[in-house]
Amino acid sequence: MSIPPFSIFSAVSELFVTALVFYVVRRNWTRRPFPFGVFLVGVLFEACVNVLYMANRAAQASSGAEHVSTGLKVFYALHGMLSLLAYLVFVILGVIAYLEQRAGRFFFRAHPVLTWSFLALWTVSIVSGETVFVVRYLL
Amino acid sequence: MGTAPVRTGRAERLRAPLLVALWCLLGVDAAGGLAIFFARLAWGTTPAVAVHVWVGLALAATYTAYQIGHWSRVSPFRTRLDYALGLVAALTLTATLVTGLVLALPWWRARASGQPVAYPPLLSAVHNIGSMLVLTFVGAHLGAVLWRDRGRR
Repeated sequence: MSIPPFSIFSAVSELFVTALVFYVVRRNWTRRPFPFGVFLVGVLFEACVNVLYMANRAAQASSGAEHVSTGLKVFYALHGMLSLLAYLVFVILGVIAYLEQRAGRFFFRAHPVLTWSFLALWTVSIVSGETVFVVRYLL
Repeated sequence: MGTAPVRTGRAERLRAPLLVALWCLLGVDAAGGLAIFFARLAWGTTPAVAVHVWVGLALAATYTAYQIGHWSRVSPFRTRLDYALGLVAALTLTATLVTGLVLALPWWRARASGQPVAYPPLLSAVHNIGSMLVLTFVGAHLGAVLWRDRGRR
């Protein structure tokens, strides 16, 4: 099966976005200035490219044009919901961390349980997305 | 200037009936939309679309009334993060409501025939993206405003 170029682009770019998310959190964790520009690039990129990709794939899959097992479709849907939740939490925590930084506080460092929970959520979301790519196109 | 009146005023505004109604409608429509998104993707079904549409209509009317009052209180626009997030939230909510109402047209036409509704894929995608961004940026806008107040203590 040929892999759509946009699927390859999305699968690879998700890894870069993940690096960006971890970079933002690590900078704050190590008490260095909040990289708002990097955060903004990640937020906009994720919104414009990968959420668009996910919505298009959802529309294609639900149209019945592709023959995918019900189990895999449920996995797609769960991955989509998880990605939404991870993105939502990233934006909200990033905004709060930026505001806290301006007041001289380091939000992620001050809330380790929340920070590690978010990173775990993000990691599960990304791993599930890469799993979808591997199962769909490489196995 | 003291901050207590600001927080008291905000606490009252957060409990205002119009805003509570807006939260309830947004919550019900978001939950319904996510259920439709999940079911459509997993099983090719669209449960409770009628509820989603009618609640969406009520949400559009309630949001319009709320936004007019909200803007008259917070205008003019200021170059601050909470304003920028609020603007993005308002634009995405408007886009999502408009695309939702347009998507409701083929559903309305097909409701009596019982035939599957052919939703335009691009419009459907924009509606899905918009709804996800609405939840994200409404949450971020509210978080930024409340955190700003917290920082003033």
